[in-house]
Amino acid sequence: MNDDICRKIRSEILNISHKSGHGHIPTSFSIVEMLTAVYQTMRHDPKRPDMPERDLFVLSKGHASLGYYCTLAAHGYFSFEDVYGFGAFDSRFGCHPDRTKVPGVEASTGSLGHGIGIAVGMALAAKIAGTTRKVYTLIGDGESNEGSVWEAIMVAVNTKLDNLTVLYDNNQSQGRCLPIMNPAERFRAFGCDVAEMHGHDLSAIKQALARPTDRVRVVVCNTVKGYGCQTLSENVYEWHRRAPKPDELNKLQEELHAGAI
Amino acid sequence: MRAQFKNTVSELAAQDDSIVIVLGDISVYMFKDFWEKHPNRFYNMGICENTLVSVTAGLSSQGFNPFVHTICPFLTDRSLEQIKLDMCYNNFAGNIVTCGATFDYAWDGATHHAYTDLASLRMLPNMEVLHLGSKREVDALIRSQYKSPRPTYYRLSDHPHTIETNTEFGKGTVLKNEGAPLTVMTAGPILTNVMEACRDLPVNLVYFHTLKPIDKALIEQFRDTEILVVHDAYGLYEAISEVPALRMRYHGLPDAFCGWYGTVHDIRKRIGLDPASIRAAVQTLLEDRSQAARPR
Repeated sequence: MNDDICRKIRSEILNISHKSGHGHIPTSFSIVEMLTAVYQTMRHDPKRPDMPERDLFVLSKGHASLGYYCTLAAHGYFSFEDVYGFGAFDSRFGCHPDRTKVPGVEASTGSLGHGIGIAVGMALAAKIAGTTRKVYTLIGDGESNEGSVWEAIMVAVNTKLDNLTVLYDNNQSQGRCLPIMNPAERFRAFGCDVAEMHGHDLSAIKQALARPTDRVRVVVCNTVKGYGCQTLSENVYEWHRRAPKPDELNKLQEELHAGAI
Repeated sequence: MRAQFKNTVSELAAQDDSIVIVLGDISVYMFKDFWEKHPNRFYNMGICENTLVSVTAGLSSQGFNPFVHTICPFLTDRSLEQIKLDMCYNNFAGNIVTCGATFDYAWDGATHHAYTDLASLRMLPNMEVLHLGSKREVDALIRSQYKSPRPTYYRLSDHPHTIETNTEFGKGTVLKNEGAPLTVMTAGPILTNVMEACRDLPVNLVYFHTLKPIDKALIEQFRDTEILVVHDAYGLYEAISEVPALRMRYHGLPDAFCGWYGTVHDIRKRIGLDPASIRAAVQTLLEDRSQAARPR
């Protein structure tokens, strides 16, 4: 069942990228289980995206928007077909998410290192207001080259935001320039409650999100760019920002549906 | 002006639970009583200006009316992108309050001089930009704008003027209208020097505290005059230029780092923004006009 939803999301990512000519497919693939775990854990109502008592999610690595839109669609916020205009002039679904256009999107992101700070503010607001609201944000390892990510972590720890969960997509994207070695150790050194796991194990991520904590929670997910399609995972630089042609789409769909993800 | 900011916000916060203070380790002692009264709405967050702004946006997203405050260049230059995206683009409002305007920290050198803030923030969609000049303006405009649906920038200085001005948001003030062919336009605390320089000269004098939105209707009244903008920052000249086809000149900052120390008065004198230099600049312009009008 869970494999089915993740496979469906990946399949639609491929279809929409093919149809629109846009999309960062490998980075969108790497976060499918993380996103699905969040949306299967947090309080939300796709039919009432502005439900007052909802939990909040911020995709800080906004360039993975296609994965985000397809996850929202899979959970009923809108149809996959709605997203087929991805990146088109008059589409609601841009290559980076806009909160004023897409139901369920809480913050417009794109420039890296911003979303996590906004999420810290949201979590602090929930504390001040005395609500039980939880805030989740998903950051990338490449994004974590930005100093503002670590500023935000320091502030979150110092303000004791035990209602904030940071999911860290450790997909090794910065191996060619500024890699972050041992991210779990780094987050521990900053004072976070850290869990580390295989980033495509949906149930493990959900268990980590459900476990009570009295600190800022960081879930380091060791992921694979392009996970689910061998062609993508073995050629991540070539496929970093590229849409599949018709024959490529067929091959990728075959790989996706043949694999045991 | 900082003390007025604290007093006004403290008075408002006593009645309004939506106000949250976010400091970058500046003005902390001054806000001591606020901290004691509202510990859950006071955060001396640290020297992390990018995050101060992002957190302010996040607080705003949840219905709070936050005030983020620290030293001008570090908040507005370093965190320009956070203001642009996290506040303006996301349409999350909030109040950005800076101290250390222009050469207030003269003795600290060019790293602490601040003059691009008004011009750069003016260019951001949704932004409201205030170059406050007096304590009265601080009090009145914080009260009128702190719940604005747009991000609002308040620039404070340690050297306010004491001149009576119209404190309505978006409105300028005519301080002298002699029907003269030359109009001096200015903004913020430098008004003290401009007023002294122009007191007995045959010029009109117009003052603004709101640079965005600029009071275009007031500027239009002086369209037929030559306009001399006297300002110790960038931003006012550009704002007045929103009214097309004006005859304008700028007397203000040089295109150079002001690499001296001392006091704000020392630097103003060195670059021609003390009363005598401003007066000389206005007189030169008046003489040029007079010579140009003389029959040959």
